[in-house]
Amino acid sequence: MTVTTDKAASPPTDSPRALARARRRQAALRFWRQYRTHRAGLVGLAVLAVIALLALTAPLLVGADSQSVTNAPGGPMEAPSGEFPLGTDQFGRSLLALMLWGTRVSLTVGLLAAFLSVAIGTLIGITAGHFKGWYATVIMRVTDWFLVMPTLVLAIALATVLSRSIWTTILAIGVTTWPTTARLVRAQTLSVESRPYIERSRALGGGHGHIMSRHVLPNVMPLVLAQTTLVISTAILTEATLAFLGLSDPTIVSWGGLLQDAREAGAVSSGNWWYLAPPGLAIAVVALAFTLCGRAIESVLNPKLGVSR
Amino acid sequence: MVTRVSPHTLRPGSRLRTLLASGATALALTAGAVVPGNPLAPAPSEARADDGRTTLTVAVAQSVDSLSPFLAQRLLSTSIHRLMYDYLTNYDAKDNKAIPGLATAWEPSADKLTWTYTIRPDSQWSDGQQATAEDAAWTFNKMMTDEGAATSNGSFVSNFEKVTATGKDKLVIQLKEPQATMAALDVPIVPRHVWEKVEDFSKFNNDKDFPVVGNGPFILTDYKVDSFVKLKANKDFWRGSPKFDELVFRYYKDQDAAVAALRKGEVSFVAGSPSLTPAQSASLENAPDIKVNDAPGRRFFALAVNPGARTKDGKKFGDGHPALLDQKVRHALFMAVDRKTIIDKVFQGHAVEGEGYIPPRFSDYFWKPSDGQKLAYDPAKASALLDEAGYRKNSAGKRVGKDGRPLDFRILCHATDPNDKAIGKYLQEWWGEQGIGLKVDCLDNVSDPWYAGEYDLAFDGWSVNPDPDFVLSIHTCAALPSKAKESAATDNFICDKQYDELYKKQLAEYDPAKRADLVRQLESRLYDTGYMNVMAYPNAVEAYRTDHIESITTMPAAAGNIYGQDGYWSWWSAVPAAGASSSSSSDSGGSSTGVLIGVGIAVVVLAGGGLLFAMRRRSTAEDRE
Repeated sequence: MTVTTDKAASPPTDSPRALARARRRQAALRFWRQYRTHRAGLVGLAVLAVIALLALTAPLLVGADSQSVTNAPGGPMEAPSGEFPLGTDQFGRSLLALMLWGTRVSLTVGLLAAFLSVAIGTLIGITAGHFKGWYATVIMRVTDWFLVMPTLVLAIALATVLSRSIWTTILAIGVTTWPTTARLVRAQTLSVESRPYIERSRALGGGHGHIMSRHVLPNVMPLVLAQTTLVISTAILTEATLAFLGLSDPTIVSWGGLLQDAREAGAVSSGNWWYLAPPGLAIAVVALAFTLCGRAIESVLNPKLGVSR
Repeated sequence: MVTRVSPHTLRPGSRLRTLLASGATALALTAGAVVPGNPLAPAPSEARADDGRTTLTVAVAQSVDSLSPFLAQRLLSTSIHRLMYDYLTNYDAKDNKAIPGLATAWEPSADKLTWTYTIRPDSQWSDGQQATAEDAAWTFNKMMTDEGAATSNGSFVSNFEKVTATGKDKLVIQLKEPQATMAALDVPIVPRHVWEKVEDFSKFNNDKDFPVVGNGPFILTDYKVDSFVKLKANKDFWRGSPKFDELVFRYYKDQDAAVAALRKGEVSFVAGSPSLTPAQSASLENAPDIKVNDAPGRRFFALAVNPGARTKDGKKFGDGHPALLDQKVRHALFMAVDRKTIIDKVFQGHAVEGEGYIPPRFSDYFWKPSDGQKLAYDPAKASALLDEAGYRKNSAGKRVGKDGRPLDFRILCHATDPNDKAIGKYLQEWWGEQGIGLKVDCLDNVSDPWYAGEYDLAFDGWSVNPDPDFVLSIHTCAALPSKAKESAATDNFICDKQYDELYKKQLAEYDPAKRADLVRQLESRLYDTGYMNVMAYPNAVEAYRTDHIESITTMPAAAGNIYGQDGYWSWWSAVPAAGASSSSSSDSGGSSTGVLIGVGIAVVVLAGGGLLFAMRRRSTAEDRE
């Protein structure tokens, strides 16, 4: 810490903004140093980096027309070979190419749904923790209700009622998985709000909005970040489940959708494992990678652990 | 969540291992559940139970809509009614010609308006009473007078003037107009003394009081919604008792599960409704003791175009795309569909390319467009036709009408039918090249938007009976709904004067050859309108265990289907295999690779479990320190 102050103090001409920027950079570096000590977190991060890279470069790697059924290069349900490392689907499309395209959907849906879920959870958690009283009672009872409702059943109901598209899936996952986040954030908000500086801020004339956005939010942010990473893996799994149950847009290639296609084509009973295994493994690997990262972030940001270090 | 972390996190590696191990175990478990030939699966059941009774188990997926013959419309329910009740006439399994059923003879009067049926004296209801002309007359009269009883078969009696029983063995039907389908009245005759007590025919489902009184080859003994339908053989059936003692339709909502059950010998037959997928039939063909029956189907698979939904009195409703009212657009759409690719890629040869409305299996009525008339696959011609109709491509490559509305269509697809989805993908690409957008709307329940006329295009298909009257009648103006959005007999809201005239003519024509000619003209007219574009005639692909069923009648006898016949031939004629008793049906069906994979997975599961257990022990040891 002494190094930090020295560095920041040495050029006294720095503006407050530059100071803040330096402080943030220091914080990020400190975070990274601690994160680096978690081997599992690093593995998860590396896996995610590779997968993200594959998703982004999918059009370059396998060509934009690999999803086309009319220009499919292979025969139906071919076993893995040199030309098609993972075999082909019932249209004769390369499963490896479809897997790469599916990465995009799974990641997009996972990320967006997790953000939606965490955004709703944070909003509800902070307001419930801040306002207390009857508002908190009502809103937390609603949260409880969502908490005891089986997520999948609710998501299936939503996906059935709305028209089938990727946005429906995101919405269905987002609005059903927020209660855990809301509860966590509310607890953290309560603890933050009991600190003296919040009282000071209130005495200086800080309004509800000011306290919630300038004081509480930055303090719950680490928790929210860790929660987001963990929710992403749930969201990816739920997306795959919904797609597998045939509740997503059938024209979009996703991992869950591939599993559903495999089932409909009869790959299960005819033993075409190469059609079933890769999407299932991919879902498991990505969900695992996000969980590993989330756990690592969580333990880095855990205030209790911070003290002992 | 934050507090759950153990006192220190200096050993992240151990947690990673735990996670990986549990992940691997979970994966192995799920994989084990789906691999065929899994050695952990339960022992198979046999076709012959301990008491020597033989049971024929059929795996089905379709739900029963109603077991009342007055309400049932689905294939499974109507097939069951064929087994429960005798009809006036039946169709010959060999060539689909009308043959005696409950009636032994039938003849029209000279003025073609009065038909006299002779009822057989040797048909008995299962409660011992004799089935007579009274029962038949009562059944028809009920349908003519009670709207609730006319739901499923009302179209057969709409032209009836009067039905009377002039004796125990004489049924007389007087018609308003001549009707050629009098030897093909697919109406189950019910026992009057039982059905008289029913109060509301629109609500009575005939599924409470078992066994249900009937006079068909089988007697319904039990039914549980989406679980099973049980029938027992009627030993006194006049044509002879069925060979199997019991017939059970058991539900497998997932077809892969049904196929696995067939491999295991849990079921004797997998209904080809929907047909087995090419991958399933290919893998079953190599399995021992299993026969795959791949027969020309009695279905057509069509691309229906919304002609602008309307009621009988011309009130328009729904929101079909106006561009589709132009015949050129409809023709262009179909010309851009490569039917050969659909047969080769989607059906993988298990279908025949579509031509006219009625499948080639019904050779009397099969019609083919002439070369000049045929809307063959020709993308260039389709483009030209669209240009001619005024839908030119804009700078973005999209076709836009004069009103500025782009050609963006929706197609209704059955979410449960893989073929719909697959063909949807092809259509998107073929039409995309033409600058036409397509949104594939896959729904579990397509009826609601369909009846409401809220679609542009739809995947459509019907099973055709030996007498084509029904599938022709659903495109007449008379079939249109009387109120908007109400369910009606109409299939696709088609109402065409020329078609209606031809329809009336064929119905009144008693000479088979002349009638067939009129039916072919009718098909030609339907083809030209471009509202019903038949893409394919899918085969019926079904499979059964030869160690359970020794022989079974297909219909027609040469290359015919087994499930969903126009008659009770298949189940009535099925002969139990001699060796169906002991363990011969145990699973040798799963390929050896399947077994190997299963064993491998079991090893992985054990290893994963062992690893977990070891780490558990170690962690508790650490905790103890």
